[in-house]
Amino acid sequence: MAFSQKRIQKEILTMTTSPPPGTRLVTETMQTTKEFLVEVHGAQGTLFAGEQFKLLFKFGDRYPFESPQVMFVGDHIPEHPHVYSNGHICLSILTDDWSPALSVESVCLSILSMLSSCTEKKRPPDNAFYIRTCSSNPKDTRWWYHDDKV
Amino acid sequence: MTDEPGTSNSSQPSSTQFECNICLDTAKDAVISYCGHLFCWPCLHQWLETRPNRQECPVCKAGIGKDKVVPLYGRGSSNNVDPREKLPPRPQAQRPAAENRNMGWNGLNLGDGFQMSFGIGAFPFGFFGSMFNVNDGRPRTPPPDTPQYQDEQVISKVFLFVAIFMMFWLFVS
Ligand SMILES: [Zn+2]
Ligand SMILES: [Zn+2]
Repeated sequence: MAFSQKRIQKEILTMTTSPPPGTRLVTETMQTTKEFLVEVHGAQGTLFAGEQFKLLFKFGDRYPFESPQVMFVGDHIPEHPHVYSNGHICLSILTDDWSPALSVESVCLSILSMLSSCTEKKRPPDNAFYIRTCSSNPKDTRWWYHDDKV
Repeated sequence: MTDEPGTSNSSQPSSTQFECNICLDTAKDAVISYCGHLFCWPCLHQWLETRPNRQECPVCKAGIGKDKVVPLYGRGSSNNVDPREKLPPRPQAQRPAAENRNMGWNGLNLGDGFQMSFGIGAFPFGFFGSMFNVNDGRPRTPPPDTPQYQDEQVISKVFLFVAIFMMFWLFVS
Protein backbone atom coordinates (compact mmCIF):
# COMPACT_ATOMS: atom_id res chain seq x y z
CA MET A 1 0.00 0.00 0.00
CA ALA A 2 1.25 3.43 -0.84
CA PHE A 3 2.76 5.45 1.95
CA SER A 4 0.07 8.13 1.78
CA GLN A 5 -2.76 5.61 1.82
CA LYS A 6 -1.36 3.85 4.85
CA ARG A 7 -1.24 7.06 6.78
CA ILE A 8 -4.69 8.21 5.67
CA GLN A 9 -6.16 4.91 6.85
CA LYS A 10 -4.64 5.44 10.27
CA GLU A 11 -6.15 8.90 10.39
CA ILE A 12 -9.55 7.63 9.29
CA LEU A 13 -9.37 5.15 12.14
CA THR A 14 -8.58 7.93 14.62
CA MET A 15 -11.35 10.14 13.23
CA THR A 16 -13.82 7.26 13.55
CA THR A 17 -12.86 6.01 16.99
CA SER A 18 -11.89 9.23 18.76
CA PRO A 19 -12.74 12.30 16.70
CA PRO A 20 -11.92 15.72 18.15
CA PRO A 21 -14.98 17.21 19.91
CA GLY A 22 -17.30 18.97 17.49
CA THR A 23 -16.24 16.96 14.43
CA ARG A 24 -17.53 13.85 12.72
CA LEU A 25 -16.09 11.96 9.79
CA VAL A 26 -18.84 11.42 7.23
CA THR A 27 -18.46 7.73 6.48
CA GLU A 28 -21.85 7.18 4.84
CA THR A 29 -20.92 8.84 1.56
CA MET A 30 -17.23 7.99 1.63
CA GLN A 31 -16.19 6.54 -1.74
CA THR A 32 -12.42 6.55 -1.57
CA THR A 33 -9.79 7.30 1.01
CA LYS A 34 -8.42 10.02 -1.25
CA GLU A 35 -11.16 12.40 -0.25
CA PHE A 36 -13.80 12.62 2.42
CA LEU A 37 -16.04 14.99 4.30
CA VAL A 38 -15.83 16.01 7.94
CA GLU A 39 -18.78 17.63 9.68
CA VAL A 40 -17.84 20.53 11.90
CA HIS A 41 -20.14 21.87 14.60
CA GLY A 42 -19.72 25.42 15.83
CA ALA A 43 -18.75 25.36 19.52
CA GLN A 44 -21.22 26.42 22.19
CA GLY A 45 -20.81 29.99 23.39
CA THR A 46 -19.29 31.18 20.09
CA LEU A 47 -20.78 33.03 17.13
CA PHE A 48 -21.17 29.73 15.28
CA ALA A 49 -22.93 27.81 18.06
CA GLY A 50 -25.62 25.54 16.64
CA GLU A 51 -24.32 25.83 13.07
CA GLN A 52 -23.00 22.88 11.16
CA PHE A 53 -20.54 22.94 8.27
CA LYS A 54 -18.91 20.43 5.96
CA LEU A 55 -15.19 20.34 5.30
CA LEU A 56 -13.84 18.55 2.24
CA PHE A 57 -10.42 16.93 2.55
CA LYS A 58 -8.57 15.80 -0.59
CA PHE A 59 -5.24 14.01 -0.44
CA GLY A 60 -2.57 13.79 -3.10
CA ASP A 61 -0.08 10.95 -3.48
CA ARG A 62 2.58 12.98 -1.70
CA TYR A 63 0.58 13.35 1.50
CA PRO A 64 1.72 13.91 4.27
CA PHE A 65 4.74 15.64 2.76
CA GLU A 66 2.33 17.86 0.93
CA SER A 67 -0.72 19.39 2.59
CA PRO A 68 -4.21 18.09 1.86
CA GLN A 69 -6.63 20.31 0.01
CA VAL A 70 -9.15 21.50 2.60
CA MET A 71 -12.20 23.67 2.01
CA PHE A 72 -15.75 24.18 3.18
CA VAL A 73 -18.39 22.74 0.87
CA GLY A 74 -22.16 22.64 0.73
CA ASP A 75 -24.64 25.47 0.97
CA HIS A 76 -23.68 26.61 4.44
CA ILE A 77 -20.25 28.23 4.42
CA PRO A 78 -19.25 29.93 7.69
CA GLU A 79 -19.30 33.70 7.50
CA HIS A 80 -15.81 34.36 8.79
CA PRO A 81 -13.11 36.93 7.87
CA HIS A 82 -10.81 34.11 6.71
CA VAL A 83 -13.37 32.02 4.85
CA TYR A 84 -14.36 32.98 1.31
CA SER A 85 -17.92 32.42 0.20
CA ASN A 86 -16.74 29.63 -2.15
CA GLY A 87 -15.44 27.71 0.85
CA HIS A 88 -11.74 28.50 0.50
CA ILE A 89 -9.98 29.03 3.82
CA CYS A 90 -7.09 31.39 4.39
CA LEU A 91 -5.12 29.38 6.95
CA SER A 92 -1.36 29.17 6.73
CA ILE A 93 -1.03 25.56 7.93
CA LEU A 94 -2.90 24.50 4.79
CA THR A 95 -0.08 25.75 2.57
CA ASP A 96 3.12 27.48 3.70
CA ASP A 97 3.15 26.27 7.27
CA TRP A 98 2.07 22.72 6.56
CA SER A 99 4.07 20.03 8.34
CA PRO A 100 3.80 16.25 7.97
CA ALA A 101 3.24 16.04 11.73
CA LEU A 102 -0.12 17.75 11.19
CA SER A 103 -3.15 15.59 10.50
CA VAL A 104 -6.83 15.64 9.67
CA GLU A 105 -7.43 15.89 13.39
CA SER A 106 -5.12 18.86 13.91
CA VAL A 107 -6.45 20.65 10.83
CA CYS A 108 -10.00 20.21 12.15
CA LEU A 109 -8.94 21.56 15.54
CA SER A 110 -7.27 24.59 13.93
CA ILE A 111 -10.35 25.35 11.89
CA LEU A 112 -12.60 24.94 14.93
CA SER A 113 -10.47 27.32 16.94
CA MET A 114 -10.42 29.74 14.02
CA LEU A 115 -14.23 29.71 14.04
CA SER A 116 -14.45 29.94 17.82
CA SER A 117 -12.18 32.96 18.06
CA CYS A 118 -14.27 34.90 15.55
CA THR A 119 -15.63 38.15 16.92
CA GLU A 120 -17.60 39.40 13.94
CA LYS A 121 -19.37 37.48 11.22
CA LYS A 122 -18.15 38.89 7.95
CA ARG A 123 -16.45 37.80 4.72
CA PRO A 124 -12.84 38.63 3.85
CA PRO A 125 -12.61 42.15 2.39
CA ASP A 126 -11.51 40.82 -1.02
CA ASN A 127 -14.17 38.14 -1.21
CA ALA A 128 -15.98 39.38 -4.33
CA PHE A 129 -12.74 39.69 -6.30
CA TYR A 130 -11.22 36.47 -5.02
CA ILE A 131 -14.11 34.14 -5.82
CA ARG A 132 -14.22 35.46 -9.39
CA THR A 133 -10.49 34.99 -10.05
CA CYS A 134 -9.35 32.04 -7.94
CA SER A 135 -8.64 28.49 -9.08
CA SER A 136 -10.98 25.78 -7.88
CA ASN A 137 -8.12 24.36 -5.84
CA PRO A 138 -7.39 26.62 -2.87
CA LYS A 139 -3.82 25.34 -2.83
CA ASP A 140 -3.23 27.16 -6.12
CA THR A 141 -3.80 30.45 -4.40
CA ARG A 142 -0.79 32.34 -3.21
CA TRP A 143 -2.24 33.35 0.10
CA TRP A 144 -1.31 36.51 1.76
CA TYR A 145 -2.01 35.67 5.35
CA HIS A 146 -4.11 38.28 7.03
CA ASP A 147 -2.64 37.66 10.45
CA ASP A 148 -0.87 34.94 12.33
CA LYS A 149 -3.22 34.21 15.12
CA VAL A 150 -6.31 32.47 13.89
CA MET B 1 -11.38 -7.84 28.98
CA THR B 2 -13.49 -9.15 26.16
CA ASP B 3 -11.09 -8.03 23.48
CA GLU B 4 -11.54 -9.85 20.24
CA PRO B 5 -8.58 -12.00 19.38
CA GLY B 6 -6.13 -10.35 17.05
CA THR B 7 -6.86 -6.80 18.12
CA SER B 8 -4.74 -6.81 21.23
CA ASN B 9 -1.39 -6.56 19.51
CA SER B 10 -2.19 -3.51 17.41
CA SER B 11 -2.26 0.12 18.50
CA GLN B 12 -2.04 -0.20 22.23
CA PRO B 13 -2.06 3.26 23.73
CA SER B 14 1.32 2.71 25.36
CA SER B 15 3.05 2.17 22.02
CA THR B 16 1.96 5.44 20.43
CA GLN B 17 4.78 7.32 22.14
CA PHE B 18 7.21 5.40 19.94
CA GLU B 19 5.38 6.27 16.77
CA CYS B 20 7.05 8.27 14.07
CA ASN B 21 5.55 11.75 13.88
CA ILE B 22 5.26 11.49 10.09
CA CYS B 23 4.01 8.02 9.16
CA LEU B 24 2.30 7.48 12.55
CA ASP B 25 3.71 3.94 12.61
CA THR B 26 6.25 2.54 15.07
CA ALA B 27 9.46 4.34 14.12
CA LYS B 28 11.82 2.29 11.94
CA ASP B 29 15.47 3.29 11.58
CA ALA B 30 14.55 5.72 14.30
CA VAL B 31 16.22 9.05 14.87
CA ILE B 32 15.43 11.64 17.50
CA SER B 33 15.86 15.36 17.02
CA TYR B 34 17.63 17.58 19.54
CA CYS B 35 14.18 18.91 20.38
CA GLY B 36 13.18 15.37 21.35
CA HIS B 37 10.88 14.38 18.50
CA LEU B 38 10.95 10.88 17.09
CA PHE B 39 10.92 9.99 13.39
CA CYS B 40 11.83 7.19 11.04
CA TRP B 41 14.94 8.43 9.30
CA PRO B 42 13.43 7.72 5.85
CA CYS B 43 10.34 9.77 6.75
CA LEU B 44 12.34 12.70 8.10
CA HIS B 45 14.75 12.54 5.20
CA GLN B 46 11.96 12.85 2.70
CA TRP B 47 10.55 15.85 4.53
CA LEU B 48 13.96 17.54 4.59
CA GLU B 49 14.22 16.98 0.85
CA THR B 50 10.76 18.37 0.31
CA ARG B 51 11.73 21.70 1.85
CA PRO B 52 15.50 21.97 1.52
CA ASN B 53 15.64 25.63 2.46
CA ARG B 54 13.41 25.39 5.49
CA GLN B 55 14.80 22.66 7.72
CA GLU B 56 12.40 22.63 10.63
CA CYS B 57 11.19 19.95 12.98
CA PRO B 58 7.73 18.95 11.73
CA VAL B 59 6.43 18.96 15.29
CA CYS B 60 7.88 22.05 16.95
CA LYS B 61 9.66 23.93 14.12
CA ALA B 62 13.02 23.88 15.88
CA GLY B 63 16.03 23.66 13.59
CA ILE B 64 16.67 20.13 12.36
CA GLY B 65 18.91 18.40 9.84
CA LYS B 66 20.99 15.31 9.20
CA ASP B 67 23.58 16.51 11.72
CA LYS B 68 20.94 17.53 14.27
CA VAL B 69 19.40 14.14 14.93
CA VAL B 70 20.60 11.20 17.03
CA PRO B 71 20.02 7.63 15.86
CA LEU B 72 18.28 5.39 18.38
CA TYR B 73 19.44 1.82 18.85
CA GLY B 74 16.95 -0.42 20.58
CA ARG B 75 17.55 -4.07 21.31
CA GLY B 76 17.35 -5.94 18.03
CA SER B 77 17.83 -2.91 15.84
CA SER B 78 19.84 -3.66 12.76
CA ASN B 79 23.45 -4.14 13.97
CA ASN B 80 23.80 -0.57 15.16
CA VAL B 81 24.23 0.71 11.64
CA ASP B 82 23.61 4.42 11.67
CA PRO B 83 20.30 4.78 9.83
CA ARG B 84 21.56 8.01 8.28
CA GLU B 85 24.33 6.10 6.53
CA LYS B 86 21.94 3.76 4.82
CA LEU B 87 20.47 4.94 1.64
CA PRO B 88 17.07 6.02 2.85
CA PRO B 89 14.57 3.53 1.47
CA ARG B 90 12.24 6.21 0.34
CA PRO B 91 8.56 5.50 0.24
CA GLN B 92 8.17 7.26 -3.09
CA ALA B 93 10.11 8.44 -6.09
CA GLN B 94 12.70 11.06 -5.37
CA ARG B 95 12.52 14.75 -6.03
CA PRO B 96 9.13 15.04 -7.66
CA ALA B 97 8.13 18.40 -9.03
CA ALA B 98 7.88 20.41 -5.88
CA GLU B 99 4.80 22.44 -5.25
CA ASN B 100 6.73 25.47 -4.16
CA ARG B 101 4.16 28.17 -3.92
CA ASN B 102 5.95 30.54 -1.66
CA MET B 103 9.17 31.09 -3.54
CA GLY B 104 10.25 33.40 -6.26
CA TRP B 105 9.59 30.70 -8.79
CA ASN B 106 5.98 31.59 -8.76
CA GLY B 107 6.95 34.67 -10.65
CA LEU B 108 7.51 32.53 -13.71
CA ASN B 109 3.85 31.96 -14.21
CA LEU B 110 3.57 32.70 -17.91
CA GLY B 111 -0.12 33.30 -17.66
CA ASP B 112 0.61 36.39 -15.66
CA GLY B 113 -0.02 39.48 -17.72
CA PHE B 114 2.41 41.71 -15.88
CA GLN B 115 5.50 39.64 -16.51
CA MET B 116 4.62 39.02 -20.14
CA SER B 117 4.28 42.67 -21.01
CA PHE B 118 7.46 43.43 -19.12
CA GLY B 119 9.40 40.85 -21.08
CA ILE B 120 8.23 41.97 -24.47
CA GLY B 121 8.79 45.61 -23.68
CA ALA B 122 12.34 45.24 -22.46
CA PHE B 123 14.06 42.70 -24.69
CA PRO B 124 14.61 42.39 -28.43
CA PHE B 125 13.03 39.02 -28.74
CA GLY B 126 13.72 38.27 -32.37
CA PHE B 127 17.45 38.65 -32.04
CA PHE B 128 17.81 36.53 -28.94
CA GLY B 129 15.36 34.06 -30.33
CA SER B 130 17.49 33.36 -33.39
CA MET B 131 20.66 33.12 -31.31
CA PHE B 132 18.93 30.63 -29.14
CA ASN B 133 18.06 28.47 -32.10
CA VAL B 134 21.59 28.45 -33.46
CA ASN B 135 23.07 27.29 -30.19
CA ASP B 136 20.39 24.78 -29.64
CA GLY B 137 21.72 21.37 -30.67
CA ARG B 138 18.40 19.72 -31.23
CA PRO B 139 18.92 16.89 -33.72
CA ARG B 140 16.09 17.31 -36.15
CA THR B 141 14.83 20.76 -36.82
CA PRO B 142 11.64 20.60 -38.78
CA PRO B 143 11.61 22.62 -42.00
CA PRO B 144 10.39 26.21 -41.75
CA ASP B 145 6.79 27.07 -42.56
CA THR B 146 5.48 23.87 -41.00
CA PRO B 147 3.31 24.19 -37.95
CA GLN B 148 5.80 22.16 -35.95
CA TYR B 149 8.58 24.57 -36.78
CA GLN B 150 6.47 27.46 -35.70
CA ASP B 151 5.58 25.65 -32.52
CA GLU B 152 9.21 25.13 -31.71
CA GLN B 153 9.88 28.77 -32.37
CA VAL B 154 7.23 29.67 -29.88
CA ILE B 155 8.52 27.17 -27.36
CA SER B 156 12.08 28.37 -27.62
CA LYS B 157 10.92 31.93 -27.17
CA VAL B 158 9.09 30.88 -24.07
CA PHE B 159 12.21 29.20 -22.73
CA LEU B 160 14.25 32.22 -23.63
CA PHE B 161 11.82 34.44 -21.87
CA VAL B 162 12.07 32.29 -18.77
CA ALA B 163 15.86 32.47 -18.91
CA ILE B 164 15.87 36.24 -19.31
CA PHE B 165 13.40 36.66 -16.54
CA MET B 166 15.54 34.53 -14.25
CA MET B 167 18.61 36.58 -15.05
CA PHE B 168 16.72 39.75 -14.36
CA TRP B 169 15.36 38.30 -11.19
CA LEU B 170 18.83 37.34 -10.03
CA PHE B 171 20.05 40.87 -10.70
CA VAL B 172 17.34 42.67 -8.82
CA SER B 173 17.10 40.29 -5.88
ZN1 LIG C 1 7.93 7.20 9.85
ZN1 LIG D 1 10.81 19.19 17.50
